[in-house]
Amino acid sequence: MDWFVFLALLQDGITTGAIYLLLAIGLLIVFSVTRVIFVPQGDLLAFGTLTVAALQSGRLPGTLWLLDGVSAVALVASLFQGRRAALRGMLTWGLYPAAVTAAAWLLAPRELPAVSILLALAIVTPMGPLIWRFAFRPIANASVLALLILSMALHFVLIGLGLVFFGPEEASAPPITDASFDLGSLNVSGQSLAVLACCGVLVLGLRWFFGATIHGKALRAAASDRLGARLVGIDAAATGALAFGLASFIAALAGVLIGAVTPLSYDAGFDIGLKGFVAAIMGGLVSYPMAAAGAVLVGVLESLSSFWASAYREVIVFTLLIPVLVWLSVRSGSPEDRA
Amino acid sequence: MSRIASPPDLLRASGTEAADADSAPIGGRGPVARTGADVQWSRWIAPIAGVVLILLVPAILPIFYVTLLGYVGMATLVALGLVLLTGVSGQTSFGQASFVGLAAYATTILTSFCNAPPIAGLAAGLVLTGGVAWLLGLVTARLSGHFLALVSVAWGISFFALFGTIPQLHGFNGIGNIPPLRLGPFSAASLRVNLGVIWAAVAIVMAMSANLLDSRLGRAIRTLNNARLMGASVGIDTVRLSRTVFVIAALYAAIAGFLFAHFQRFVSPTPFSLGASIDYLFMVIIGGAGSLWGAPVGAALVVVLRDQFNDWIPRITGQAGNFESLVFALVVIVLLQRAPDGLLALLARLKRRPARRAETGADVPLEIPAAAAVAPGQELLALDAICRNFGGLAANRDVSFSVHAAEIVALIGPNGAGKTTLFNVISGMLPADSGRIRLFGAVAKRISPRRVAALGLARTFQHVKLLADRSVLENVALGAHLSGRAGLLRSMLRLDRAEEARLLSEARAQVIRAGLGDMLRVPAGDLPLGQQRVVEIARALCLRPRLLLLDEPAAGLRLAEKQRLAALLRQLRAEGMGVLLVEHDMDFVMQLADRVVVMDFGQKIAEGPPERVQSDPAVMEAYLGGVA
Amino acid sequence: MKARLLAAVTAMGMLGATAAAHAQIKIGAILSISGPGAAMGVGYKGAFDFFPQEIGGQKVEYIIRDDATDASTGYTIAQKMISEDHVDAFIGPSLTATDAAVAPLANQAHVPMIAMAPYDYDPTKQPYTFSDAQPLSLMVAEVFKYMNQHGVKTIGYIGFSDGWGDQVLAGTKQNAAADGIKILADERYARTDTSVEAQALKLISVHPQAIMMGNSATPAALPVVALRHLGYKGGIYGNHGIVSPAFIKVGGAAVSGVVADTSPLVVYNQLPDSSPIKPVAAEFMKEYTAKFGAQSVNPFAGYSYDAMLLLKQAIPAALKVAQPGSEQFREALRDALEKTHGLVGVSGVYNMSPTNHNGQDSRAAVLVEVKDGAWRAIQ
Repeated sequence: MDWFVFLALLQDGITTGAIYLLLAIGLLIVFSVTRVIFVPQGDLLAFGTLTVAALQSGRLPGTLWLLDGVSAVALVASLFQGRRAALRGMLTWGLYPAAVTAAAWLLAPRELPAVSILLALAIVTPMGPLIWRFAFRPIANASVLALLILSMALHFVLIGLGLVFFGPEEASAPPITDASFDLGSLNVSGQSLAVLACCGVLVLGLRWFFGATIHGKALRAAASDRLGARLVGIDAAATGALAFGLASFIAALAGVLIGAVTPLSYDAGFDIGLKGFVAAIMGGLVSYPMAAAGAVLVGVLESLSSFWASAYREVIVFTLLIPVLVWLSVRSGSPEDRA
Repeated sequence: MSRIASPPDLLRASGTEAADADSAPIGGRGPVARTGADVQWSRWIAPIAGVVLILLVPAILPIFYVTLLGYVGMATLVALGLVLLTGVSGQTSFGQASFVGLAAYATTILTSFCNAPPIAGLAAGLVLTGGVAWLLGLVTARLSGHFLALVSVAWGISFFALFGTIPQLHGFNGIGNIPPLRLGPFSAASLRVNLGVIWAAVAIVMAMSANLLDSRLGRAIRTLNNARLMGASVGIDTVRLSRTVFVIAALYAAIAGFLFAHFQRFVSPTPFSLGASIDYLFMVIIGGAGSLWGAPVGAALVVVLRDQFNDWIPRITGQAGNFESLVFALVVIVLLQRAPDGLLALLARLKRRPARRAETGADVPLEIPAAAAVAPGQELLALDAICRNFGGLAANRDVSFSVHAAEIVALIGPNGAGKTTLFNVISGMLPADSGRIRLFGAVAKRISPRRVAALGLARTFQHVKLLADRSVLENVALGAHLSGRAGLLRSMLRLDRAEEARLLSEARAQVIRAGLGDMLRVPAGDLPLGQQRVVEIARALCLRPRLLLLDEPAAGLRLAEKQRLAALLRQLRAEGMGVLLVEHDMDFVMQLADRVVVMDFGQKIAEGPPERVQSDPAVMEAYLGGVA
Repeated sequence: MKARLLAAVTAMGMLGATAAAHAQIKIGAILSISGPGAAMGVGYKGAFDFFPQEIGGQKVEYIIRDDATDASTGYTIAQKMISEDHVDAFIGPSLTATDAAVAPLANQAHVPMIAMAPYDYDPTKQPYTFSDAQPLSLMVAEVFKYMNQHGVKTIGYIGFSDGWGDQVLAGTKQNAAADGIKILADERYARTDTSVEAQALKLISVHPQAIMMGNSATPAALPVVALRHLGYKGGIYGNHGIVSPAFIKVGGAAVSGVVADTSPLVVYNQLPDSSPIKPVAAEFMKEYTAKFGAQSVNPFAGYSYDAMLLLKQAIPAALKVAQPGSEQFREALRDALEKTHGLVGVSGVYNMSPTNHNGQDSRAAVLVEVKDGAWRAIQ
């Protein structure tokens, strides 16, 4: 394998690694605040791709109706919870979906990529808080395992809905840019750079959010000590909703970005989400820098093993996960030591 | 001979920590109520009915139901393993389907390609699966909760990918024309005969599992869920036991895989995917991971529902899509939210059954086994300059004292003085950073809790660690773990009854001596905290220790109970036992202790007889902040 | 008197009704409508909307079930159809793995089965199995004929890492050996992969004159895009699994020039007028595109349709011998199917025999290439 090939593989690996990193960040945020391992994040990624593809062909996506439907239920539920909740409910679950629906209905036929992308983000992002509200919040205090099993069940729900809304065919997202240029003998695609750029912007944005805004700090507090955060008045339900909202925004964005490089079908998101998982696990589900390293490692490993032994790629990537997990677990100590 | 309790009692599996909500098992914390079946079946009705059913039903059902029940049976086998693994011992596996696949392919290769008899295929499947599970168990036995779950996802996917890529396994086209089951001249080509074989296997495996749960090992397995520390403190090798349970679950799955290959006579990778593993977990969740009966109930529901959905939903919606998966998943979600312990527990709660009864070992005469012979004054424990730090905090600094036979030493000091840390160091749960411990005359830098227990040191815990759902008697019987020897096979084949009776009678005696004689059958979690501490003491005594470490034994006890406890401790001292106890109740300590050791900020600040320590100015300063 | 007459008429009417109900012909169809094979399943299923409700004077009931692209599920469904629904024949399964699972069942129960996916079987050992999907060897041979004409001597192979990729590779190896063509590389990727840059790089590094693909549907566009993006200039050839509008839509400009072969149905309006298949295909497609749109043309609906045509021709002969629902009917149906001669379908012309239960010849394969944004027949 010569240098050119290696660089090409590296570029490929880093691009996919950036997507895995995005997903890993989303997973980490959700896990640290709510202890939910958010498996369906990959499916939301696919929703992002398919929604923007549908909008780009001038059709109204099924996810829009899902948003409207579940928002309506949330709206009705909030009406029974007092005046302030009702008011907030009418804004978030009444006005917002109505506005998005109207915008989609008016603008979808124009088939403008920028508009479609924004609309897709607007449609898929609220699904996170809605999932939190109706699926996880009722058993928020259950064990990590119970929450994980619920996550798996949700994955099947989303896949089923995906098949109904979008059919079995694959679809692509419009690229942010078609440009590409040559760096020496290596051809660098503009979309890859766009992916990396978005990733970088998001990471910086999140750092600012967590460091400087009150909501971000509340999230960090809830992540570090749930009980303590509640004792100082931080609303557990709200932080949960915020965490899920961030994760679903990230997933939708990742879907829009990766969907321009590869067409995705309704069930292709799970695999991608799983690799994001792997990256998050490499960070021990607590550390963002380690997760970043893990994401790049998974992306590059995938790329390299595709080259060397393409049929066994899945085997290699997932088998290598096992010793990493063991090492991590031993490092963090067995439960007995945390007496 | 002790009365064998009714089967459904024994199948009640779970054990929950009394305190910690965050580490509750599957489904969160259910009510610590008197759940579980109580139907008083005569001993033989169930087995006879079972045999009759197994012989009759396959013969009379239409062929389609034969197939369906076959799948239910095989799924039940896997689910039984999961009940043991997840419900009882608290480990997770999202990879059971890959064990099914390993065995299925093993027997396929041997019988289809090598013309070996099916029994060889079964043996190969069991050996291969057991071996792989043992290896995986080596790496995963120390993993906690979600790490373990994720590793199992990883190997589940890895094996599935392997099944699909190894050329000899024909990938996704699968391998057909697998020979039918055959034993000598008897061929089981007919699906009906196969069905009988499958359900006979289910019955046998279920009986063996029930026997296991009802034995000394069953009690030990229950500590794996949330009370590993406690398990280690009574001498249970928790790591090895976890691995054993994991291998058992894999072997059950292997049996299912073997039967699957010869039932369907066609294997392809798809039934062994991550989705299939998740399905098995769904079965256990829906049926209830707390009881062995949850396995067939859950398996039947899942298999039948999926089949029915596959039929009806296309007719309703006019579009045969993936709806049955969707509806299924929604059912699971609703169940997780409403009935976290599964359907069986829900039904039991609805019917409001009266309290379970448990084994009491009543027929064997009461006797307290003689304490190990110890010369009075013999040194049992000597600490020499023990130091233990946590980061920058010196929890124990240069602590030295000793405890001898037939004496009671009290360890007192303000909160945060490092007393419990010292206990953890002595009992082997934490390594000391420096210093020496001489325990029963032998010096050791670091010793495991199990070894400590085997040598004769028993302890109780500051935060009570009991199996809340199990009776007081069973909890105390845990302490007698090391005096039993029945292994896996003996337990499963119910050859351990004599030893069980002996262990239980010993436990019963200790409970009565501790004054809780009329609470024998009450679930331990139902007792007030003070009495729970007494249960812990009784459990510690079952270990026949030479040295007893008690962490705040009197907390939460009423006056009469404290007096009874003090009397018990005096009796133990008279019998030659050494006792080291941490306490905050000064009256209790001063009346009882021979010597008092006072700690503050990690250091020993005073030692001596109670009266002298009481008037020591350093002690008064520590407690009150200065002498007036 | 009147009451008795009324009673008698009612009784006869009921008898007649039940007799008609019993005389109903039941055809079971096991299709992959969900799961990874769903994209093809949609096509297979769509044809059923245009099937006759009555054949040879008997009502026909089509029972369509979804095997979720899983052989085990298909197996269970087949058992149910045989023992509960008492089907007289199977159209499908539409998945090779399910074909392999169901065929032994069908043969044991003496139910004729028309497999609709490339499936390797021996008609003398499985007399009840028929197939109307072109054998892979036939389709690959046509592509190789074209390659030979263009002087290709070395190829690289890229295919799915599952059974389909294996099968196409097997056909490729067979034809390559016969034509003296060397296979320089064998790369695989999973259907759900998002990138095949690595595999494309590997292929290019061995400098083959052409690339042969063993994939299908839209994931097939991925390697083409990758190869062209990396500057590969040689010919790219595929199998009939890639010929669909979605392939072009997803692949964009990069897939222009890809050569494959396909069922005549897919390019029915480009067939020469002398082709007997053209009128049959045109008539079917007129109805089909009216309902599903002009872009919905696909080969899979053609397999379903041909299976129906085969049965439609064989059923009247079987009805002369026995009533539907009986084993004699099914055996007669099998015999009639085996005697099919010169039946013009939309995927080929069928001439069956006891040793050939597929009966298609080279008329079943039409060479096509991507030109001007669509699949065009190569003349």
